[in-house]
Amino acid sequence: MSSQAVLNLKSPAGKNSAPMVDKPQAPIDIRFGQLGVLQLRFRTLDPGVILDELRGRFSSAPQFFRRAAVCIDLLTVKPFPDVDALRAIMDAVSRTGMIPIGLAGEATAVEPLAIAVNLPVLSTLRTNTRPGPALEPVQPEREPQTEVEAASLVQPATDTTEMRDSTALLHTQMVRSGQRVYARHRDLIVSAGVASGSEVMADGCVHVYGSLRGRAIAGTRGDTSARIFCQEFRAELVSIAGVFRIFETIPADLSGKPVQVWLDGEKLHCTRIGT
Amino acid sequence: MAEIIVVTSGKGGVGKTTTSASIASGLARRDKRVAVIDFDIGLRNLDLIMGCERRVVYDFVNVIQGDCTLKQALIKDKRLDNLHLLAASQTRDKDALTEEGVSRVLDELGASGFDYIICDSPAGIEKGAHLAMYFADQAVVVVNPEVSSVRDSDRILGLLASKTKRAKQGNGKVTEHLLLTRYNPLRVAKGEMLSVDDVQEILGLDVVGVIPESPEVLAASNAGVPVIMNNESDAALAYQDAVDRLLGEEKPMRFTEAPKRGMFARMFGG
Repeated sequence: MSSQAVLNLKSPAGKNSAPMVDKPQAPIDIRFGQLGVLQLRFRTLDPGVILDELRGRFSSAPQFFRRAAVCIDLLTVKPFPDVDALRAIMDAVSRTGMIPIGLAGEATAVEPLAIAVNLPVLSTLRTNTRPGPALEPVQPEREPQTEVEAASLVQPATDTTEMRDSTALLHTQMVRSGQRVYARHRDLIVSAGVASGSEVMADGCVHVYGSLRGRAIAGTRGDTSARIFCQEFRAELVSIAGVFRIFETIPADLSGKPVQVWLDGEKLHCTRIGT
Repeated sequence: MAEIIVVTSGKGGVGKTTTSASIASGLARRDKRVAVIDFDIGLRNLDLIMGCERRVVYDFVNVIQGDCTLKQALIKDKRLDNLHLLAASQTRDKDALTEEGVSRVLDELGASGFDYIICDSPAGIEKGAHLAMYFADQAVVVVNPEVSSVRDSDRILGLLASKTKRAKQGNGKVTEHLLLTRYNPLRVAKGEMLSVDDVQEILGLDVVGVIPESPEVLAASNAGVPVIMNNESDAALAYQDAVDRLLGEEKPMRFTEAPKRGMFARMFGG
């Protein structure tokens, strides 16, 4: 997340505008907006590798990332790039259709680069200082695509060094259409229903003890052992570690039944529980 | 303090204004002092349904902007002495409403001894709808037995739980009531409409009333009489039951079963 001033330009009232304009409005509203920004954290300087990796990762939903604003995070990249290397990275990112809008990383190191390429340093970005395992070259933040209810998107205030917190996130309210609940680094337990048009997500497993009519996404960060459990299966979509299945019609033997979803290689299994 | 009830739905055309007029009239008939406010700035309708469109001199926006006093703008209902209407402005747009302005008017209404303030929300989830629900203590979510209406109501219920003053201040939650309108048991039996149970299950809430689909509703609207005032019709009786339930009384649900068809009708269809 980054804070960004939003300039809302309004044309001044013309001479012929109706006399009933009640209060003169300022030509510019300046306010802080919270915007979700995709963050790309690099562990290589090779533009070819970056391009291949990004194209591979986003091949399932190329439109989703088209013209998406991204922040280039240089915290973990080694060796630290010079201006030319950074331009090469930015070029690779641009060629996937995404648009770099800023840099992040250690402020003193990034500042000169930022000036050279004329991009802001998004210094307020929360950076995870844990160097990740070498096998995950890119760790894009999930970008909220729609309006996010502040009350419903639950995120711990700080990143933990452990991958999983010891306790699950418990959500006792019904998850309504348009709401998202996300359990970062842990399991999610919803003790009420999940309405159609809503999303429940967890880095670990997702448990729903009401009816699941919306989308359930487990293993958001790639944990292939994560599972989805629900008491009454009517889901629109289920996904584990990026492998998803859409239910245009729900098979009769699963509809309304207790179901678990797990991943076996690349294949997603949905089966009744307790039969 | 006055109890503030918002009548909302998300989707348009499901019966919010009809419901606002009937609930306001129903509460007033139970000897409550009631003010009903039309929040649909620019598409003012409530005055028509209440039959006082020719008596609107000042409106809600005039009060907020200080062009007149609240007392000047409140229109006394011609049938019920303790029912007052604050009409919407037909000529302004929704930006004329401000949070401070709405808050001030509601406070002033509360201070002048009203027991209930009914806020008739516009459709959608924009500013007008947001301000109509923001100060609410209770919400009547009007829903039709069809999937798009149910989904929109679900969205509204989510907003009620997160975007209202009560939710933001952690001051208890807005009491949610579900009101099912345009219900036709015959079409439910044929599987063309969602049943009461379906809607309750999808939204995870019990209904406070089920208003049967009835030609009386349209006739009453066109005549400028809230349908609850027509003691003959099923819809009026169903609204009266709903008002009683809002006041905490237990009433069995009526008009939710298809009438039994006689032998003759079954043999010859119809």
